[in-house]
Amino acid sequence: MTAPGHDDDATAGAGPHRASSGRRLRLVIAGVLTVAIVLLVGVALGRLSSPTPVTPGTDSVEAGFSRDMQVHHEQAVQMAMMVRDRTDDPAVRSLAYDMALTQSQQAGQMYAWLELWRLPQAPSEPTMTWMTRPTLDGDYGSHHMTDDGGAGGSATPVATHEPGGRMPGLATDEQLAALASANGVEAERIFLTLMIAHHEGGIEMADAVLARSEVPQVRAFASGMLQTQQSEVDAMQAMLVERG
Amino acid sequence: MASSDKPTDKPTVKQQRDARRHEKVAELKRQQARAKRNRTIGIVTASVAGAAAIALVVTFVVTSGQPRQDPQAIEIDGVKTYSDLTANHVGGSVDYAMTPPAGGDHNQIWLNCGVYTEPVPNENAVHDLEHGAVWFTYDPEQVSEAEIEALRDFAPDTYAVVSPYEGLDSPMYVSAWGAQLPFANVTDDEATVSDFVTKYWKSTNAPEPGAPCSGGVDGTGKIA
Repeated sequence: MTAPGHDDDATAGAGPHRASSGRRLRLVIAGVLTVAIVLLVGVALGRLSSPTPVTPGTDSVEAGFSRDMQVHHEQAVQMAMMVRDRTDDPAVRSLAYDMALTQSQQAGQMYAWLELWRLPQAPSEPTMTWMTRPTLDGDYGSHHMTDDGGAGGSATPVATHEPGGRMPGLATDEQLAALASANGVEAERIFLTLMIAHHEGGIEMADAVLARSEVPQVRAFASGMLQTQQSEVDAMQAMLVERG
Repeated sequence: MASSDKPTDKPTVKQQRDARRHEKVAELKRQQARAKRNRTIGIVTASVAGAAAIALVVTFVVTSGQPRQDPQAIEIDGVKTYSDLTANHVGGSVDYAMTPPAGGDHNQIWLNCGVYTEPVPNENAVHDLEHGAVWFTYDPEQVSEAEIEALRDFAPDTYAVVSPYEGLDSPMYVSAWGAQLPFANVTDDEATVSDFVTKYWKSTNAPEPGAPCSGGVDGTGKIA
């Protein structure tokens, strides 16, 4: 390619030389563009045909779950620590010990997901908004627009979830105050009653995220939560019966 | 062309010159036509390639999920930051480098997060900042009852303290560990204060984010 160019340079003056180097420039540009496009297409094909690592965004179901469930777990830890100060009963104290440490560790897992996804810990939208999003099968589940009586007319009791609503099972300040001022069996009863409702709410939220997320870590976490909290609900109901 | 029509006639000099000129013109036209065709091919190719590149980039953006909102990348006008804060547990009162405090040594017992109607002890509240809480303070002399109410509504339900603080140089402040922002009220400054919460609430800027904000000590006048 270069040899004719040099010949032109030597013999034929400016005109042909310009034409030749112009063509060479065009060829170089075309070559670079071709390489770039081939690379881009290759990367695109590779990326679109392989399973993409999922990184949820700030308004995603996964981020919403991770934020709300941290708050939910933090209250469980708080109640478990409270009852340990209110009773000497070994069964309740060890149950509470288990719950406090488990849920504290789980809250840390959800905290770390948000950090790894490079998302703020602070919610980007009102609490529970993620639970009003469509499910994977395109349904809205039982959590959509229930204040007008529930559109589907379903027979199952419909939870009143709406953006900004209270998380299911969360104890009120008054209930926490009642636990804080009780002692012995009375404190145990209040704790068990509040924690059964708390776990049932947690199970509802875990169910809701399983219906809406395909992120493996989130699904594994929620499945584990479902299983263990359901078994703890059964155990707590038995303990509540024992305490009259 | 003209010469080949009548091969037997000997062309005149003028005719020969005309013929050569015609040939040159024809050759020039062919060159121009070729150049034009090449340019058209070039433009079409470049356009197609450009469109393909744009389409691929769009595909990437669309398939790479929802947009990131990296909290560390948020820039907030008017925020003051403090580095190299110490975090020792100390008894008694601490002389803080800034008012209200935004980190430093503190009491070993943390303040229970929530809404207070009375000033809270600095030394307990700073322990909350270490645990990732944000602390909203307002100067009762400089704000209206409605502004206080709006602030209480605005504050996150967990990992937040709202309390009066006398003698501030701004009607309100929001503080986190190592950062604070003066502001007038949450109505006029909602965007900025929201950015502050997004960036600093339970953030890794604090030494122990997610450590407890309950089970410590209540201040006086806790209403939520």
